Amino acid sequence: MDILTPFQIALTLLASGDAELMGIIGLSLTVSLTAVLASLVIGLPMGALLATYRFPGRTALIVVSNTFLGMPPVVIGLLVYLLISRSGPLGFMGILYTPAAMMLAQTVLVLPISIALSRQAFESLNGEYAPLFQSLGLGRLDRIKALVFEARVALLTIGLACFGRAISEVGAVMIVGGNIRHSTRVMTTSIALATSMGELAFAMALGVVLLLVALTINIASQLLRHSFRNLGHDV
Amino acid sequence: MMSDRPAPDIIMTAHGLTLRRDGVTLLDTVSAQIRRGSITLLLGHNGAGKTLLLNCLHGLIACDTGTISGPPLARQKMVFQKPIITRRTTSGHLRFLCPQLDDAARRDWLRRAEMDMRTDAPARMLSGGEQQKLALIGALAARPDILFLDEPTAHLDFAATKFVETMVREAHEQGMTIVMTSHNRAQAERLGEDVLLLDRGRIVETAPADRFFSAPSHPLAKQYLDHL
Repeated sequence: MDILTPFQIALTLLASGDAELMGIIGLSLTVSLTAVLASLVIGLPMGALLATYRFPGRTALIVVSNTFLGMPPVVIGLLVYLLISRSGPLGFMGILYTPAAMMLAQTVLVLPISIALSRQAFESLNGEYAPLFQSLGLGRLDRIKALVFEARVALLTIGLACFGRAISEVGAVMIVGGNIRHSTRVMTTSIALATSMGELAFAMALGVVLLLVALTINIASQLLRHSFRNLGHDV
Repeated sequence: MMSDRPAPDIIMTAHGLTLRRDGVTLLDTVSAQIRRGSITLLLGHNGAGKTLLLNCLHGLIACDTGTISGPPLARQKMVFQKPIITRRTTSGHLRFLCPQLDDAARRDWLRRAEMDMRTDAPARMLSGGEQQKLALIGALAARPDILFLDEPTAHLDFAATKFVETMVREAHEQGMTIVMTSHNRAQAERLGEDVLLLDRGRIVETAPADRFFSAPSHPLAKQYLDHL
């Protein structure tokens, strides 16, 4: 088979709207988008808090968060597996080998990115705005609200970075999802399986979709940066 | 460090303010009184401690020792030498600075600053002079009891300088107390009523502006005016 053949088959599969392929793409996007949303909801306030206030245990939190930043996905998957397996502390939830488990694993995977990048963004902005906030007599909550608003461009970029990490990850979802057909099979685990089974066209079709997703993220990111630069944002 | 309110004709009193950083004394037992409704000028060479004293009086920097009595922070405003501008539109930034203004009042203030055609422009894209005007009207619109201005016309052109001075005079006529720093002697003579001259963190002369400029008493004041 020549190297272009898988591409041709991939495009045909995509164009035909193959049900299994579409199901896999849909599940991948759902799992990753949910994980990104959850990580932002938890991570942004934590990033803001770490950036603007000194409190006992702050340094320890930063160290733990930064350590998880470089943690391989398979290790995250293993940790989550131990948490949610039948004998684990969260075993009663019965979510092992379900999309919920994959969402949880991806949330744990991208949460450190959300915390670290938002802390960096908030720290920089807080340094710039602190005298103004103090002069205006803003309270703690109003300061954080103002910082989140001022950091909105950076936060969108952080969301895109988290999504890029989540959608392309394979190890964690493989361990906690099990790569079950029609249930927990996502793009990356399908690519791994299809390649091992010699179904290169199917694997390539999913690869093309992943590439398209990455391309879309990049274009969206650039467009956002461009439009916000026109609004006076330093991006 | 804020304590009881001072005597009726005095809006703010600082007593024995001292600030040291890294073994250097930046403010040295500074004591001063600001008359209610006056325009008080903080003068001095670069590094004399003018901006630092403004920040201390406004409560942005806590001194190591000393006391300050005056209006609560909510009744004070400050315009920084380099305005701190948010990532919002011109109108949005004004709303952030003075949330109590309604739309009509906000438009009116922007019109007075000749910025009504730029209400939807990103505030950070305005020129330096426009940003300074925006910061000033944001402070004035809140009608504070006391307004601190840190070199409000540094780097501004003639028209913007004239606007700032007009607004300062108008606020003063309405009874607002203004404390400002300036390196512009002509402006200081035009606006100033009281002068505090700082030298290396110490107040070396306190005098009415007309007397300070015509017959300064301290040798350092004479020297300073010779250089101005």
